[in-house]
Amino acid sequence: MSKSLQCQLCDAVATVHLTQIVQGKVHKVHYCEACASKGGATDAAVFQLAEAVTTVATQPTIICPSCRFNDLEFRRTGRLGCPDCWPVFLGALQDLLAKVQHRLQHVGRAPVGVVAIGQLRHRLHEAKTEMEIAIAQEDYESAARLRDEIAQLLTQIPES
Amino acid sequence: MTVQDILAAENELTHLLGAQQAIVLSTRIRLARNLEGYPFPGWAKAAQRQEIAQKCWGALEKLPRFKKGHFLKMNELSDMDRAVLVERHLVSKELASGKSGAAVISRDQTCSVMINEEDHLRIQVVKAGWHLRGTWNIAEQLDDALSESLKIAFSEQLGYLTACPTNVGTGLRASAMVHLPGLCLSRHMEKVTRALSQDGLAVRGWLGEGTEAAGNIFQISNQQTLGLSEEVILKRLGGWIKVLVEQEWNARRKLAQEEGARFVDRLARSLGILRHAHLLTSAESMNMLSHLRMACDMGCLPEANRHLIDRLMIEGQPAHIQVRQGKECESEKRDSIRANTVREALATFPEVVSPTI
Repeated sequence: MSKSLQCQLCDAVATVHLTQIVQGKVHKVHYCEACASKGGATDAAVFQLAEAVTTVATQPTIICPSCRFNDLEFRRTGRLGCPDCWPVFLGALQDLLAKVQHRLQHVGRAPVGVVAIGQLRHRLHEAKTEMEIAIAQEDYESAARLRDEIAQLLTQIPES
Repeated sequence: MTVQDILAAENELTHLLGAQQAIVLSTRIRLARNLEGYPFPGWAKAAQRQEIAQKCWGALEKLPRFKKGHFLKMNELSDMDRAVLVERHLVSKELASGKSGAAVISRDQTCSVMINEEDHLRIQVVKAGWHLRGTWNIAEQLDDALSESLKIAFSEQLGYLTACPTNVGTGLRASAMVHLPGLCLSRHMEKVTRALSQDGLAVRGWLGEGTEAAGNIFQISNQQTLGLSEEVILKRLGGWIKVLVEQEWNARRKLAQEEGARFVDRLARSLGILRHAHLLTSAESMNMLSHLRMACDMGCLPEANRHLIDRLMIEGQPAHIQVRQGKECESEKRDSIRANTVREALATFPEVVSPTI
């Protein structure tokens, strides 16, 4: 049996173990359950997020007008207060999101009845590339089909 | 409907179906969703959480998939019942540790929805074996059905809005539970974990976030949720699982070849201990059952016995034992009950023979 690890924040036995590789660097953290849940999360990425937002300020500088959630709370929990917090905190979270996420534009599904513009833009980009390939391969039938699809997509996407 | 009913019912993971695949134990899809106009559960007041729960519960009740399902409020369950649901992966530790959450579980236990966990809704679909497409299709249908009756928080730029920045976008966590004794025994797991992490996949222990791997079982899942479509996330996971399965088979074959009698001896000793021990800790039984599972995969034991091993792994967990006993038991008592169950189950097991694969 391996020796029990000690929590990095107190003397208790660590039962929460996380290993993550961020930009090529291995990070191992060990917490006891109480400290892990006090951190408000059990995911290393969240700890990083919460730490990264750390400012020395003790007064909140960002407050959500809808739910009164503030940046000090985020620092404590690593989570936001309500869906309306997102536009309010986005500026402060941008660098951190860039680290943990692929890109700052959603390209997936949308709820029923909501047109997923991001997905349409993504498809538009794909269809344009596919059309170029089809033309290069002299596959004019596919190229014509893709041209029609592109025209259709352009009518659905508002100009930015 | 009680937690006892859930344990007693034949279901996807403990009965037969799970036995059909050697390395991938199960496939899971999780979608995080929130209602517009309400604080996330961690910041909401008790009355708001109740309102959220009522809305979500109402929407779920109408779905045919949850007909005759289990509707469970965490504050109405004992500590033990909640722990057993965690061990079954039907609810998370976080939901079980709070008193204001609820869970809705389909009759066949493939679909479960957690209400008021970190997000208002956590839709989960799990299937035994490797069924990424089938699992995804069910999750997608559930998601669409719920978004028809609930107003879901969504933004064009950020996708589905979630409490935690690590879930925003698709809100999708796709994962596979894989049994990798070959890679563990040949000490390749660290290299594998590194490669997967560099491609944006997380490797966790059998009970998910923050747990150590017991029984050489790992959960592999995507980390990024924003800027990648669901299709790309699923394809990337699928590609890696295929590679992992191949690597695991290679590692097992190499071990069997290089170790010869020592390889079979290790598996046979595990069977010997499990068949005769009077005290078995959870970790010890998981590790030895892992050897037997590998023995079934490689023709050292009949393949038909694999499902029994899976069931012993799930039902040997601490809360499962105590719920079956109907009372809390000290750790040594649990080790004794576990050993008795395993001994009885393996009494008629055939001997371990040399691998055929």
